Amino acid sequence: MNEQEKVKVIDARGSFCPGPLMELIRAVKESSVGEIIEVWSSDTGSQRDIPKWAEKAGHEFLGVVHEQGYDRIRVKKKR
Amino acid sequence: MPKKVLVVGGGTGGTIVANNLAHRLHDQLVKGEVEITVIDPSSLHIYQPAYLLIPFGIMHRNEAVRPERSLLAEKVRFRQESATKIDLANRAVYSDSTRLEYDYLVIATGAKPDYSQVPGLEKAGYDFYTLDNAYKLREALGRFKGGKLVTAVAGIPFKCPTAPIEFAFLVDSYFTRLGLRDKVQVSYVYPLPRPFTIPNVAEEVQRMMENRKIEVSLLFNVESVDPEKKEIRSLEGETVKYDLAVLTPPHTGADVVKKSGIADKGGWIPTDRYSLNVKGYDDAYAIGDGTDLPVSKAGSAADFEAAVVATNIWDDINGFAPTLRYDGKVMCFIITGIGEATMLLFDYEHPPKPPPATFACYWYKLVYNRLYWTVTAKGMLPGFGV
Repeated sequence: MNEQEKVKVIDARGSFCPGPLMELIRAVKESSVGEIIEVWSSDTGSQRDIPKWAEKAGHEFLGVVHEQGYDRIRVKKKR
Repeated sequence: MPKKVLVVGGGTGGTIVANNLAHRLHDQLVKGEVEITVIDPSSLHIYQPAYLLIPFGIMHRNEAVRPERSLLAEKVRFRQESATKIDLANRAVYSDSTRLEYDYLVIATGAKPDYSQVPGLEKAGYDFYTLDNAYKLREALGRFKGGKLVTAVAGIPFKCPTAPIEFAFLVDSYFTRLGLRDKVQVSYVYPLPRPFTIPNVAEEVQRMMENRKIEVSLLFNVESVDPEKKEIRSLEGETVKYDLAVLTPPHTGADVVKKSGIADKGGWIPTDRYSLNVKGYDDAYAIGDGTDLPVSKAGSAADFEAAVVATNIWDDINGFAPTLRYDGKVMCFIITGIGEATMLLFDYEHPPKPPPATFACYWYKLVYNRLYWTVTAKGMLPGFGV
């Protein structure tokens, strides 16, 4: 992931499935095309569910960075 | 001065916690050493699981509603009025007519449907999230002689996570019994990549839906509904057409917790997942559907939580350290058709392992619907299961 790009961070740590995915969906809905949204999730299911949703919804899944106790998952709004 | 316990909300959680405490504190209530007050705008207590069963004629209004006063223990004071503000810093709750001080507060203000989150939702079709709407749905199902029936979840979280699954299974049974199943296409639409939040339960649900020819559409997050074209549109860019739509509305927390600055952006009360304290306040607790806890918004969660809170308040009043912790326990029936059901029992650490559906479990569910009034709501099993 390009760390220089401006991203909108959604801290969903402590929220359990499907909380982080729902937070991402809400953020994508409120964002403009081209914006990058980064979800912080401590729920391991997020790294499985979020790429599936991004693909279905036509957005670009940019990857996951594993941090201590949580993941940073990035999606770019494409439409 | 008596110790004052104030319960905001007279639904399942609020009623159980008040009654549970009243049993434990009976002598102190009689002596005037303790006061327990419940405040709720409604004089009626509704057993909300009935909403799912009313459309199929399995339960009726007179089995679903009781006066709240008749459920509360005699020594519990009931104020039928709306709480307008909760002031946690100053230990007070306001209504239009009074200011109530407390030593212990239990917020049990629940969740409510929020149709405004999805354009077109309220006019689009039917749901089973209010008593009136359950009856409107009953009438619509009775008239429906064929076509595409879509049941869709239009927002997470919502009350009773298993209800949309149960509704789809009940529809399958209902139209099979009427001899119309081959004329009714049943479609289940859900926002996640699986038909239920918990993966191992989702696998079994998916298998059962396939066996019953219930069409499953996943990763479909309802963006809007067009009642004239009879279309449901998703954020993901898909459209589902329907002849009869039964939609689970998005939910939100109570206005009083939002107006009081307690709620998070979803309208839920930030709650410690073990102590059930409102975060930052050791004299205030939150239970039931209004919390932000990572458990089902379901009556059984409120029941287990109420027992923990009642125990800890009793301990504190009587000079013991309040040490009981909520472990996330939830028990849910899943009705898998008219005449069959299974059960989920789980907590924070242990996912459910549902046994095969049986008639016995279905029968127990129907019996439980009656036991609710005389056992559960009355707080007759203080500490049961916790």
